[in-house]
Amino acid sequence: MAVPVLMPRQGQSVETCIIGEWYKKKGDQVKVGDILFSYETDKASFEEEAKAEGILLEIFYTEGDEVPVLENVAVIGAAGEPVEEFRPGGSKPVEEVKTETVVVAEVVAEKPTVAIRESSDEAVKISPRAKKQAETKGIDYNQLQGSGPGGRIIERDVVTAAETMPVMTSLAKAKASDEKLNVGAETSGLGGRALAGDLTSNNQVYSTDFEVKKLTNIRKLIAKAMHASLQNSAQLTHHMSADARTIMALRKKLKKDFEAGKVSQNITINDLVCLAVIRALKKYPQANTHFLGDSMRWFKKVHLGLAVDTERGLMVPAVKNADDLSLEGLSAQLSAIAAQCRQGNINPELLSPEAATFTVSNLGNYGVEMFTPVINLPQTAILGVCTIVPRPKDLGDGIYGFVPMMGLSLTYDHQALDGGEATLFLREIKEQIENLTI
Amino acid sequence: MPKIQFINPEEVRKAGEITFNPIPVNQYNKTVEEEKANFSNEDLIRIFRDMVIIREFETMLNQIKIRGDYNGIAYNHPGPAHLSIGQEAAAVGMAYTLGVEDFIFGSHRSHGEILAKGLSAIDKLSDEQLTKIMESHFDGITFAPVKNNFSGSAKEMAIRFLIYGTLAEIFARETGFNRGLGGSMHAFFTPFGVYPNNAIVGGSGDISVGAALYKKVNRKDGIVVANIGDASMACGPVWEGLSFATMDQFNELWEGDMKGGLPLIINIMNNQYGMGGQTCGETMGYKVAARIGAGLNADQMHAERVDGYNPLAVIDAYKRKREILKEKRGPVLLDVLTYRYSGHSPSDASSYRSKEEVEAWEAQDSINWFGKELVKAGVATEAALEEIKAVTGELITWGLKLAIDDKVSPHMDMEKYPELIGGMMFSNESVDKMEDRKPDVNHPMEENPRVKQLATKERFAYDETGKAHSKIKTYAYRDGIFEAIIDRFYKDPTLIAYGEENRDWGGAFAVYRGLTEALPYHRLFNSPISEASIVGTAIGYAMCGGRVIPEIMYCDFLGRSGDEVFNQLPKWQAMSGNVIKMPLVLRVSVGSKYGAQHSQDWTALATHIPGLKVVFPATPYDAKGLMNAALQGTDPVIFFESQRLYDIGEQFHKGGVPAGYYEIALGEPDVKREGKDVTILSIGATLYRALEAADILQEKYNMSAEVIDARSLVPFNYELVIESLKKTGRIIITGDASARGSFMKDMAQTITELAFDELDAPPVVVGSRNWITPAYELEEYFFPQASWIVDAIHEKIVPLKGHVVKNNFTENEQIRRNKLGV
Repeated sequence: MAVPVLMPRQGQSVETCIIGEWYKKKGDQVKVGDILFSYETDKASFEEEAKAEGILLEIFYTEGDEVPVLENVAVIGAAGEPVEEFRPGGSKPVEEVKTETVVVAEVVAEKPTVAIRESSDEAVKISPRAKKQAETKGIDYNQLQGSGPGGRIIERDVVTAAETMPVMTSLAKAKASDEKLNVGAETSGLGGRALAGDLTSNNQVYSTDFEVKKLTNIRKLIAKAMHASLQNSAQLTHHMSADARTIMALRKKLKKDFEAGKVSQNITINDLVCLAVIRALKKYPQANTHFLGDSMRWFKKVHLGLAVDTERGLMVPAVKNADDLSLEGLSAQLSAIAAQCRQGNINPELLSPEAATFTVSNLGNYGVEMFTPVINLPQTAILGVCTIVPRPKDLGDGIYGFVPMMGLSLTYDHQALDGGEATLFLREIKEQIENLTI
Repeated sequence: MPKIQFINPEEVRKAGEITFNPIPVNQYNKTVEEEKANFSNEDLIRIFRDMVIIREFETMLNQIKIRGDYNGIAYNHPGPAHLSIGQEAAAVGMAYTLGVEDFIFGSHRSHGEILAKGLSAIDKLSDEQLTKIMESHFDGITFAPVKNNFSGSAKEMAIRFLIYGTLAEIFARETGFNRGLGGSMHAFFTPFGVYPNNAIVGGSGDISVGAALYKKVNRKDGIVVANIGDASMACGPVWEGLSFATMDQFNELWEGDMKGGLPLIINIMNNQYGMGGQTCGETMGYKVAARIGAGLNADQMHAERVDGYNPLAVIDAYKRKREILKEKRGPVLLDVLTYRYSGHSPSDASSYRSKEEVEAWEAQDSINWFGKELVKAGVATEAALEEIKAVTGELITWGLKLAIDDKVSPHMDMEKYPELIGGMMFSNESVDKMEDRKPDVNHPMEENPRVKQLATKERFAYDETGKAHSKIKTYAYRDGIFEAIIDRFYKDPTLIAYGEENRDWGGAFAVYRGLTEALPYHRLFNSPISEASIVGTAIGYAMCGGRVIPEIMYCDFLGRSGDEVFNQLPKWQAMSGNVIKMPLVLRVSVGSKYGAQHSQDWTALATHIPGLKVVFPATPYDAKGLMNAALQGTDPVIFFESQRLYDIGEQFHKGGVPAGYYEIALGEPDVKREGKDVTILSIGATLYRALEAADILQEKYNMSAEVIDARSLVPFNYELVIESLKKTGRIIITGDASARGSFMKDMAQTITELAFDELDAPPVVVGSRNWITPAYELEEYFFPQASWIVDAIHEKIVPLKGHVVKNNFTENEQIRRNKLGV
């Protein structure tokens, strides 16, 4: 008995997923556990395994298709089994046998394809109707190869282009029409939709001397989130340094303890910084907030976001109730979510910017001495942790010595926090780091 | 071709000879003294006065044209003025005996005739009648300046009204007799029996015959006088009019009180010149124009030459000729000899005649001579005559001043009312019958054999299963036209129909079969094979108030009635200032199978001329509905039919062609098949090829074509077509006319302007080739075929996958053909 392969549902908020790559093709024999295809949500990529054994009888969606969750994507079954009943929106099996034979000249409606013009030397010929439609739909007809007489671009060319070329948002359509812009090589909207920002005019300098690489879904999401952050908040960054001697000593000790098997986790500097931050947040709950325009969400618990660099791009998973955790527990959780992000199987719910109440972004390992992290809205602040450098310090009695100092860059939304409280909060972090005890 | 007339070879082959009666030339020889028994002194003085008024009127115009001044009044008249100085006695003599109910028609040189007939009518009308006429004409617009600038008796007022109305018309004033739209060469005033004068030489030669036909058929009092020039006797339409007027059938076949000749006098105003050409000795061969009558019928048209320099000689002739007309022995031809001192027009330097000649005629000037005769006979004193001249000078000065005063005599205000003339091109009335009386018919309509036969026919082409009824059982296109026409014959007593083979034969295409039984001769008859007379007489008939259906068989014969269709029919409603209506439906049929001179679709010629309505139905339902509407209207309609259509049954209108009366508004195209991918707009019989093309497109290329039948060409509502284009974005326009300069091209251009942004390809015209129409066997290479339409779509609108063309619609070919002019 044939069974359908469903597009899994990844998280409550996910309605559709985009198929990344098919690892099996129609007709292949598959076993349970074989990876069939990869897919992406807004936030993460996943791989779907076969849950039944048999022949991959039919594939309904191909790479790049946007598929509603729980929709049939493919059918696995025995050779020769009918698949039509599984086709999304497809026909039900024919129950009645037609009594009448109607001879109709068979006309196969061909799937239209968009042809792109090869040479741009010739003047573009386009019918008034096609031109009007292209402008309304925001299609760059200069790129189209017309299918009308003498290569004239006619309505059907524009219609086909509209169906297959990037779909534009309403704003983008209006802008393209008003400013005579075209969809650029890259689109950043959901499902490849072109946003107003994706519109370009043809460049006279570099012409076609570039390669177009599609953004991954995650990249698009990051771009959108980062841009939105800068657009929608009043962020600024304070820099401060913390004496790292205590924390470094702690780390040294904990490493020995780990090697000696006294602790279960290899506690990192970052884990310790996060602990310090959680403690600081408990003292300054105004930084453990979401800014919502006319109100703020003050959290009782700390759900700590951690910026994780992955091959796919930046991800910020959250550790829930981080203030309830021991240092070991915190370390274990931070290490686990980072690994899940890098593997691409993180729970999408944890990636939501709304999931965390405060974020730590640590670039210390990369030697960055100072930076301005971007707030993960609607959070009100983010701490950038920089590398440790020796700096001169008054050791007391007018004696100066070089002390390892850790750079701290706190970006906060001035809408939510004033400079004074932000500074006090940052100093609290500094002091927590400098005086960290376990 | 009535069967009762037996052409006996024994008779017609007999030897013999034709003899002619002598043609009288200037036989009148009475003196004024002798005529005193027949005229009162007042009558004779009035004759003198009328001549003086004409002379002064024309002299004034001559001075305005030549010097820009008359009696110290400066004016520039840029328009024409063909003057008749010297011809006054002929005009006054012609008009003197005519009653108000007698109609005159004229030429480009007819100011004198307008005044003479007007003065004659004024003399005969009562004061009350005159006042009513003056006050009712354009609701008193012409009368107001006269009334406000003169007080006197009704008759004096009427004379001033006549002078002023004519002059204001000549000067294109809105207060003129025809709102200034007729002008010098076309001025007229029907309440005084003055019917249109005509700027086309001989134009009145057939129109006046139609007017006489109107009087006869509708039993109206009065006679008709056609004032045409000696040179117009060379014109074909004049000969055709004369031939029509002298048909034997009036005496041989028309029955009862209708038996007998037309009440018509062809009055040749023989001033002996046609522009600069001398008709005697140079451009004609008749020597004496009266000779022509002898060539036309056995009565020789009772022709004679009359001395037009003696008003009493002309009056005498008219008195005698009227008796002939009373006895229904018309028509009559008069050759009224006269002479014009003035040139053909003010630009004429008289290089074609000697000074001596003009002086010799001036020495015999009719006004001077007649004045002396009056004094000699003791009718009037010289002083009294001088007084008449002085008073006339004042009268004309008064008229000139008033007519050029922009305040009282303005031109049409085209700034304020830019569509004034547009509003006059058609009368757009809906009139059941032009007169309310019982129509002359032979039997009740339901007893008519054709009507009975039609009752048994299938009024839709297919039965319930979609199978076509047999041709014999099917109510066809020709039946639709017939039903509309017979219905109107029983409704409108003025309706008449004629043309070649209309009676007995039932029309060349059997549309009129059955009408012969229903109608007496005077309502349906066969005309000479002369299209100019068929259309020209119909124009005269219609402008007098009758409804008429002239038919000229093949469309190609429009050329034979070119002047009538292009210069007369479309003009008179607007040129009369909407005084005249033109309830005339001209039937023409586009042929096939008969080659180059019998297969042309000339819709473009008809649509090009402003003032004609043009329809071309392609189905029985549309044919009947449009014919009903055309006959209900008061405008000239060119009703195109096609020989490819007469047998066709109704394939579109659900329930078939209604038996009752219905109208289809002129100007509304009709969707014959709905579609979404391409619009095919067809004219006439090509509809069926367009449908064939639509079938091919559907079956082979999965393309659905919307087929629109234009039905009407003028007027035409483009909204339906634009709506279709919004859907399809593509349009082919097709019809049987040769493509170049066709109405299809006009539509394509208009559509491009109206719906440019809707177009996915240029509108493409698929018409006939710009060739002669070849023989039937080769027609498929000349007339648009379904495959042409498909090929044109493929080549010019949207390439059809896998389509192999048979015809060359490429741009290169189009350029090549145009370069060669084919």
